[in-house]
Amino acid sequence: MDSSDAALVARVLHGEVNAYSALVSRYRDKYARYAVHMLGNREDAEEALQDAFTRAYRSLARCEDPERFGAWLFRILVNRCRTSGARRVRRGQTFVHDETALLNASEEHPAEQTMWREEIERALGELSADQREAFLLKYVEELGYDEMAEITGVGVSALKMRVMRACDRLRVLLREVHSA
Amino acid sequence: MPDWGRTTLELMVQELQHPVRLDESFDRRVMVRVRRVHAERRHRGIIGWLGAAASISRRPAWAAALAACVVAVVSIGITRGTRTPAIPTGHAIPVQFVLVAPGAHSVAVVGDFNNWGLNDTALVAENHNGVWSVSASVHTGVHRYAFLVNGKEWVADPTAPRAADDDFGQPSSALVVEASTQ
Repeated sequence: MDSSDAALVARVLHGEVNAYSALVSRYRDKYARYAVHMLGNREDAEEALQDAFTRAYRSLARCEDPERFGAWLFRILVNRCRTSGARRVRRGQTFVHDETALLNASEEHPAEQTMWREEIERALGELSADQREAFLLKYVEELGYDEMAEITGVGVSALKMRVMRACDRLRVLLREVHSA
Repeated sequence: MPDWGRTTLELMVQELQHPVRLDESFDRRVMVRVRRVHAERRHRGIIGWLGAAASISRRPAWAAALAACVVAVVSIGITRGTRTPAIPTGHAIPVQFVLVAPGAHSVAVVGDFNNWGLNDTALVAENHNGVWSVSASVHTGVHRYAFLVNGKEWVADPTAPRAADDDFGQPSSALVVEASTQ
């Protein structure tokens, strides 16, 4: 049976709701990484990802290019993370590391690995949401600026500026850590 | 990448690119939400379909059967399946079962209301250009049913809620026929 995104979307739209679980399994881990780094903790990330999948299901008939369901879903997730990030600022929560990722860290030098991981997460948390979003999309998700513009609705020039400023900020933050 | 700390940045990105794995319970939680949306939409859709039934009457015979199905569905309540067995109360109303299966050679309906097709009691559906339909009088109560395609493939009704338990290890759908809604 054809298991392409387009075929699965077609089956779901014809009422075969269980076919959607294949799309969930396909994109679950891939997009969990972005959500965890963007929001800073696994709990918020899972909630955002669940919401994104549910919103995508509700609006599936409006997915203009089912072959690119993944990109469409990712756009929904990016928007959802923005909302979640705003809530977090209002709640005054701190940016915390992904505990599971820490548990999976290198076993050769677990203490160093953990410290390095914490430094990274702390530095990411110091960035503005816009800068963190641009940095993660560009370097971690390895998207081109045109793709980033399509997903975020922000112009390419503005995105390049955000990435540059994010890098500048990270340089300062990581050097401060190493010089401390 | 910028010139500064190139190695540091590369190491940082390398660390951030490690996969984040969610367990399968995540899938189940998402699908619970999705099925809830599906059920809500289906409930709302029934009302909308009723308004469209008049225009269907001018279409081919199978469309008329589909319209009859809509009317039948409106006359019953639908809920998630439970382990509650069928509760015949003496009332029976006609229910139209419809499955879109253009490639099928035969389709039958089996459920607890016809002893799961044992003793030649399966309801054989008629083919209308790939839309298979059959009507049956079903007693009020909770029922589980499925379509038997080509005499061997057990298929749950894609437009109905899934029964919480799958008899015989096969998927089945849930149907509640309520006397109060007749």
